[in-house]
Amino acid sequence: MIGAMVNVMDQYLETLLMTLTQFLFVLLAAPLFSGILTRLKSMVESRKGPSIFQPYRDIWKLLHKETVFPNNSGTIFRYGPYAIMGIYSLISLIVPILVPVPIFFTASADFLGGAILFSLAAFIKLAAALESGSNFMTMGAVRALSFNFLSEGTLITVFFAVSLITGTNNPYVTNSFLSSNPIQGISLEHIFATLAFLMLFFYETGKLPLESSGLMEMGMIEEGMNYEYSGKLLAINRWSSHIKQYILGSILLNVFLFPWFLQSSFPWYILDIPIMFLKWMLLIFIVLVIETSLAKMRLFRIQDYLATAFAFSILFLIFGVVVG
Amino acid sequence: MNPFENVIFLAAAMATVAGFYIQAQEFIRSMIRGQLIQSIIIAGIVFILAYLESSPDLVILGILVLVLRGYLVTALLERRIPGNESYVYEKGIGVASHIIMDLVFIILATFIVFSLVFSGIHFSISGGIAGSTIIVFPLAIFFQGLFLIGSRNTTFSQIMGYVEEENALVLFALFIIPVPLIIETSVFLDVLALVVISSIVVMEKFSHEPMEELRG
Repeated sequence: MIGAMVNVMDQYLETLLMTLTQFLFVLLAAPLFSGILTRLKSMVESRKGPSIFQPYRDIWKLLHKETVFPNNSGTIFRYGPYAIMGIYSLISLIVPILVPVPIFFTASADFLGGAILFSLAAFIKLAAALESGSNFMTMGAVRALSFNFLSEGTLITVFFAVSLITGTNNPYVTNSFLSSNPIQGISLEHIFATLAFLMLFFYETGKLPLESSGLMEMGMIEEGMNYEYSGKLLAINRWSSHIKQYILGSILLNVFLFPWFLQSSFPWYILDIPIMFLKWMLLIFIVLVIETSLAKMRLFRIQDYLATAFAFSILFLIFGVVVG
Repeated sequence: MNPFENVIFLAAAMATVAGFYIQAQEFIRSMIRGQLIQSIIIAGIVFILAYLESSPDLVILGILVLVLRGYLVTALLERRIPGNESYVYEKGIGVASHIIMDLVFIILATFIVFSLVFSGIHFSISGGIAGSTIIVFPLAIFFQGLFLIGSRNTTFSQIMGYVEEENALVLFALFIIPVPLIIETSVFLDVLALVVISSIVVMEKFSHEPMEELRG
């Protein structure tokens, strides 16, 4: 009896340690990958560029600045960033983005639940922008809405695709299924879902050819919705963006593109940190090649890009499942 | 699936994607290049099947696809672009809406035709590749060609739609039953003749309004 209790306690502690490792890794390492990408991009463009730790410095600086609210701003504008940060923190415990075995809070949602949480965060961000009382933020929100109807559809369809391919909508089972299958076993639906998710990753993280993170008026979407934020709230928004990028990139790597090599046993799961780092280097390389070789698309062309991603995600899914 | 079957499925899927590319293009030259890519992919499939079946007929067919469809049709159409300028384009093409409409049309049409006609038939395709699902790709390309003809005004687009339909028929014939080479060759030459005639129509009239030919 006592032996069994000790065993249960051991398992509890192991899961707790895995949960804390994943949560803290996502929270603390997410800005680093943005910093590495910016630095490498500068080097390719023959610039010196900022340090890879610049995102941390920016967040630190903003956390120590005064927070100013517009006169007409509402409650969602003031508290939205905290809710968004909370949602991304919860998603970081639901999907296999570091440890490939279920941890605490994993059971709170499946793949579709994760997609809906992403949509909820996007909705809160839009609602906050509309409550800001600022024209620029409203413009950002309207632009985001013009494109999100296609991107959210693609996100959910892509998650449907992996659910149907692997017969489950549990992302951990999907990761395990794909990592235990050789590359020849990968289906057409998976290949095109991966392509669609890669395109979606570029849109959601504001990378070229759809750069939406800059402050140029003709292209700004993400920064438009941050325009009136300052101080602590801006720091939280920036941090959330880094976490969102890490989560989407890690889903792309662990569920679609490169699901192999993650360690699940205790204490070897700690090796997942350098493994994820190396995997992210692969993704950063792909992003770097695309970002430094393509020109920015005009704003109204983003719909065309997203329609293509949507077509990729849904066409072969329907062919594969309904017709096949 | 064996590796060759995977490659053939992927190539057929890429031919369908090339169809989307053609549909989404505003520039005439890019559409013609899209047709070239689609023809090269189909020629690739023919060569793989030729290797699997050790069939000299299929090798000749692959070469014919490359020469007639890949080179001659492309060259003939490119020469007919007014002024030989690369920036000739069709105005008022909403790329996103065209892609979504094309997607909906081909999914519905393919699904209906496949369910009614092909779902109960089990094909044994060349090289031991079995199954009826591969038929959805030529069906999809065929309906893409049809949609291209229906959705565009320029004569070029309509010729492209016709060539796309012919590409679909080549794939269809390959996947269903090995058609004698002489029939395939005559179809290719037929298409070539039609492209030559159509390219004269292009000079006569660059675009067509809906139903204008039917007016009294």
